[in-house]
This record gives sequence, structure tokens and C-alpha cells, in this order.
Amino acid sequence: MPGIPAVSRRLLLGGALATGAVAVGAGPAQAKSAAQGSALPSPSPRRGKGQRPMFDVPFDIHETVRVGVIGIGNRGSGMGEGWAVVPGCRVTAVCDIRESRAKALADRIVALGKPRPAEYGGSTDAYTTMLKRDDIDLVYIATPWEFHHRQSRDALLAGKHVVVELPVATELDELWDLVDTSERTRRHLMLSENCSYGRNELAMLKMAHEGLFGDVTNGHGGYLHDLRDLLFSDTYYTDSWRRKWHTRSTASFYAMHGLAPVAAAMDINRGDRMTVLRATATEPKGLADYRERFIDRSHPSWKETYVNGDLVTCLIDTAKGRVIRAEHDVSSPRPYSRINSLAGSRGIFEDYAGTSSTGGRIYVEPDHSGHSWRDFDSYRKEFDHWLWRKIGDDAANNGGHGGMDYVLQWRTVQLMRAGLVPDIDVYDSAAWCSPVPLSVKSLAAGGRPVEIPDFTRGSWVNLRMGLDSRETDMPPVA
Amino acid sequence: MRTVRPLRFLGATALATLVMITFAPVAAGAGPAPEPSAPRTEVSVSSVDLDGPAVSTVKVTVKNTGPQRMRSLKVSFAGPVGWAVQPALTSVPGTFGVGATTAAEFRVQVPGKREGFTLRTFTATATYAGGDGAGSATATRTETNGAPLANLAAAYNNVGITDEGETGPGDYDGEGNSFSAQKLAAAGLEPSGRVEALGAELEWPGVSPGAKDNVAGAGQAIALSGRGGKLVFLGSGVTGGATGTATVYYTDGSSTSGSFGFPNWSFDPADAHGATLVASTDGRNRPDGYGNAGIAYRVFAHSVALDATKQVEFVVLPSNRNVHIFDMAIAS
Repeated sequence: MPGIPAVSRRLLLGGALATGAVAVGAGPAQAKSAAQGSALPSPSPRRGKGQRPMFDVPFDIHETVRVGVIGIGNRGSGMGEGWAVVPGCRVTAVCDIRESRAKALADRIVALGKPRPAEYGGSTDAYTTMLKRDDIDLVYIATPWEFHHRQSRDALLAGKHVVVELPVATELDELWDLVDTSERTRRHLMLSENCSYGRNELAMLKMAHEGLFGDVTNGHGGYLHDLRDLLFSDTYYTDSWRRKWHTRSTASFYAMHGLAPVAAAMDINRGDRMTVLRATATEPKGLADYRERFIDRSHPSWKETYVNGDLVTCLIDTAKGRVIRAEHDVSSPRPYSRINSLAGSRGIFEDYAGTSSTGGRIYVEPDHSGHSWRDFDSYRKEFDHWLWRKIGDDAANNGGHGGMDYVLQWRTVQLMRAGLVPDIDVYDSAAWCSPVPLSVKSLAAGGRPVEIPDFTRGSWVNLRMGLDSRETDMPPVA
Repeated sequence: MRTVRPLRFLGATALATLVMITFAPVAAGAGPAPEPSAPRTEVSVSSVDLDGPAVSTVKVTVKNTGPQRMRSLKVSFAGPVGWAVQPALTSVPGTFGVGATTAAEFRVQVPGKREGFTLRTFTATATYAGGDGAGSATATRTETNGAPLANLAAAYNNVGITDEGETGPGDYDGEGNSFSAQKLAAAGLEPSGRVEALGAELEWPGVSPGAKDNVAGAGQAIALSGRGGKLVFLGSGVTGGATGTATVYYTDGSSTSGSFGFPNWSFDPADAHGATLVASTDGRNRPDGYGNAGIAYRVFAHSVALDATKQVEFVVLPSNRNVHIFDMAIAS
């Protein structure tokens, strides 16, 4: 991959100022007071003339979904093969700046008994040549974060639908641009938010809709994943792109895996919306400490200074008075967790906390009393999403991340082949990724609350179907 | 007792719909109070498509049956707790003459169907000036799906009685304690034995010690047949706050509801919540065997009023697991 683009002034400011802000940050009560009264404004541009919303816009029916893959690192490689094995889906082209990776993925797809995709690579803009093909319906993007916006935009403008890895963009104006480009091109852009298709997450969503938690008041999620060894690996993240983000900015880079399922359970953009965000960050200790203990002094990382807080926490208010806590920590020693908790007037669910086979625990009235947690198993069984009942075995055999990847890919292909409305749209994608730039902004201002733009431009009040979908079949493959 | 009268009843084998209308007190400044026999504002809630997951549309109709023009009409709508509704409140522009009808539409997020018996309640409230002068009127629509449990025994979910020689299965109070079968027998409570309380003939659970023998209240719907002036519950409370509401549904689609409570099985005054002591046993069974001799562990009776003119169809128990029920029966 090419060198990382110039660091934006906003990101640099966020990183530089945030470190100092932690020590003098306001307490919770002060922060709440500030959030209610004086949130920093965020731009909300008007919808362009002739531009129309993408709510409830179904896909055109595609007999076969033809996928082009951009970015064949660890993630793109696995997902590239994943697309190829979904019924009714064909990978027609693959692209990576390193041509050898494109060839390797093409070889593996052939080994799966599938037609060989066309290969592109050798330059930073090789993907633009691929986008000119007329046998691509959906572009899947798994490049480093800094390329997501441009490549997504180019794909939309080329008339393709887009599934892009987290985050879809890292700047607020880029998020708005993707919303506007989707609306102008009438093509869908979907965050590749596989955890929103997690089995526990979907059950939690269905339980929330059933009212098991009563009136939902708060939820917690995050991405707490000790990535230190991978961040210092010379081969895992191409050109160490992910570690370099930790030298540039203090931000919640990647909290979407925990935020999105909670947001879905609160019907964000489908009856509620996120209004205000305020962020805190701890000191950046984890990566430097790891380097000190485990990395040879000759390693290029020793020229780096890490500025991103180990734990970046975003507190998010919603229009209906709910609170979401979204955490990000990839640089501390700890077991994996996405937290994944939801609570309301009648109960609470917590993931990554129980000893049951599902890993979850629950307490809901009137089913439970006595102040003691119960296993989540029976609830997961009762509220199991139809996708897992239908393709759970296939997911376990074919997909990474416990099958979530396959469920996302299968469902995306089904939506396109059946001509259905996407579960996750460009508005969800923009909202869920907005804590990336907004956490920078909040931390740069000493933890002040900042407005979260309404990417739906007022339509968030409308109830709409989303991930809690009705069961449908995959159209038969001819 | 809160009484509601049916507006209409729509029944089906798998889906029953109960529609009720109630009236709220006059709002301050809303106009003169209506005569007792004056026609009241009619509010009705349309059927709700519960084939979820879906977003269903519901129509609330308001008819001005009062002697004055109705103005400043606002309609609120709510579904079961936790269900999203859009909007929660809407203003209806204009004024409405005598006899005029208007409607407001709402959308509701309907979850996927659940197995077993479900009971969904939707409430619409109209507030207004003029009209009948009452200021507000409320309609409630209840939709049920599936069949209630056949009897109370089918809802047993707790082991409250154990043998002193095998106390392990007991967990009446959430801490592994239970009544002693031997001490209950000494107090006159034996399996399938007759218990008279508050005019009702009840039956002590006919199960062996260590088996599930009572219901910790969780809103279970239990089929029950008969007529009478009250419904008597036999049981006691655990921890604190063993109170709740029992709702009785009649065969004509109407319902009544009443609150009752039991004293804690040990430490509350015997007449707490207005309950009546039925039996008192000495000590209790703990996880490690019989103990706490000299301390009383008790069973009480309490009741809620019924509409004696109507045939009972089923009862929805309180949604409070601190309320433990061994039996229930209709009394005159």
C-alpha cells in the first residue's frame, strides 16, 4: 500500500490536546450538565437539490450478485473467499496494490471451485480501473481506514453498491459526503458491521423489541481487544497502518462493533437518534510499555510516539433520553470483549460476563428476582434470530468471527438477490462511525459535549425495519 | 377494583381482542362536568397487526358525543412497555361538531411472535376542550394470542415445600429456604388438603415435598371458570414488597383488576397489605436441614373483587415473583 495520507489538522489537534485534557477533565456531573446546555455544534448540510433519501429503497433484483474486492490484507482475504461461497454470489474481480495478493486470492477462489476473478493491482488507483467493469454489482472494501472514504465514494459514483469495513470514513465531512453520494447515485453503502449480526446481539435486539427490558434506558458496547502483538507485527497490518493511527490522534477509532448493536436495539435512526457525544481518554501507556518489554530496539516503531489513549470512552445521549457508553481499547492487556449490554426499566442483559454457553447473563422482571444473574441460554434460544436458525450451521462452517462474517455476507447477497431493503444503510453507517471524528473534537475541547449530526435530516423519527427483519428465503440459484 | 366495560369483542380461535373504554376525571379548566347520564366521548383503537416483526399502523378514532363542539384535541397512544410508537402524542387540528368523528394514526414497532400465551395492551387517550366537558377519555385494546395455562398447577415454577430429610430442592425465598412439609402438616396443610379462607374453598398443592408446588408471580395467564364476588389467593410473600395486580378477564371480553399483597412469610405483621393469616408453621427448612425453630413461617389469604355478574375466563397473576401463590379460587 502507498504511504499514509497526510494527517489532518483536526486529527492532530485532537491527539495533541486530548492527552492533556484527561488530567483536567470534568467529572461526570459537570459533563452531563455541559452536555445538556452547550454542545459544540457539528455541521449538518442541507440535502442537495434533486437528491432523495435512501430510506426503504430496495435493491434492484440481482440474479447473481457480482462482487469486486478492494484490499486483500488479512480481512479482505478472508472475506473475499467468504463472498465466493455464498449461494448466488460470484467474486468477479479482486484488487490490491500488491498484485501478488490479488493473484493469491484469485487462486484460492479457483481452489474453491469458483470462476477465477479478474486481478487488479500495482498502483494506488488500480481499483479505479476495476470499477469500470460492468460485471460488478457490489464492491467490498477492506483497505486501511484512510482509504475507505475515497474508495467508497468512487465505487458509488461508478454505480456500484458498497460494503465497507469499519469505519466508512474518519472525518465528519467525509461521512456527510458518503450520505450525499449514496443519495445522489441511488446506490447503497453499508458498513460491514458483522457484529450487528452476532447471535447474542440479534437476540438482544429482538428482546428489546419484545419489551423484555421494559423501556430501554441505557446500553454499553465497545471494542476491547488486545491487539498489541498484531499492531507490532511487521506482516499483519500492511506497513503497520493501524499502529500508525495511534501516533496521530486521540480518538475512538473502532468502537462500532460495540456501539452498533446497542444503537440497533435502541432503534437509532428508526425512532431515536444519537444527539450528543462527550469523550474521555486515558493516558497512552499500553503500546509504549509493550514495546519496551517485547520489541527490539532496532524496530522502526521505536521512532514513534503513541498519543491515542488506551481507553477512549464516548458517552452518547439520544433524543429519547437514553445513554450509550461506547469504549475503545486495543492497547491494553485484557481478554476480548465487546461489552454488549442493554438495560431498561425491567431488566438488563450483559454479554461477556456469564458462565453459560452463550457467554451472556440476564436479569429481567418478572421472570427473575432475588438480585442474582441468570444464564442467557434459554432467552437466546427463544429469541434466536431467524438468520441464525436458518444458516447458523453454514455460518459455523464457512465464516470467520464465529460465523458473523458469513451471516453478514449471506444476508447482503440475499437482500440484493431478492430485491429487499438493506438492514444497515448509509445513515446507520455514518451515525455509527461518527464517534471517530466527534471523539477527536470532544477530546480536543477538554471533553466537552459535541453535537452528533442527524444524517437522516429529520427522518429518524420514523419507525423503520432494520436488523430485526422478517424471515425470507434466499432465492434459488439457477 | 378498577372496572372497564367492553365496547366490543372480537374473538377467534387463536387471537382474541378485547376493547375497553374508560374515562378520566375532568381536566382543570376543561369545561363543566358532565351529567352522570350524559353521553361520553367515544375513543376506540383499531385492530393491531401483530404478525411481527413489523411496523404496524393503528388508527385511534374519537367521536364527540357531547353537547359542545370539541376543540384542542390531542391523542396519545402507547403499546406494551418497551414497544416503540410513532408518534406518542399528536394534535388533531380543527374543531369537531356534535356527533363528529375524527381519527389519528400511529405506528408501532411489533416484535416477532412469541410462543405460548401473549397479552398485548394498547392505550389511547384523548384530551380536549368542549365536547362532553370531561376533558379526557381513554380506550384500551387488549389483544391476546394463544391459550392461557390450563390451571395454576401448570404454572408451578417454584419449590416451596420440602421434607425435613431432604431440604435441598427448596428455594421458596431465593436463598434455598422452604416450608417444612412436616410442620405444614402439623398446622393442617397437607397435600391435596382442603383449605377454607375468606369464604373460598382452596386446595393445598397435591404434590410431593421437593416438587414444584407454587407459582412465583410473573404475569402468568391461568384459565379459571366460575362466577363470584371475589377471587381468593392462598400464599405468602418473600423478601419485601410482595404486592401486585391481578387482572381477571371475563368471557364477554371485559376485565377487572385489583391489587393485593402478602406479608413476608416470616417477618411482616400478619395483617400487612390487608392479608389474613391462614396457617403458621414453626421453623423452616434450610439448605442444610431443618432450622430456625421458634420462628413462624406463614401462609396467608387475600382477595381481589370480581364482577359477580360475569363469567370468569382467565386470570393474569401479578408480575412480581415475590408473590407466591399455592392456590386460588372464586368465592361468593
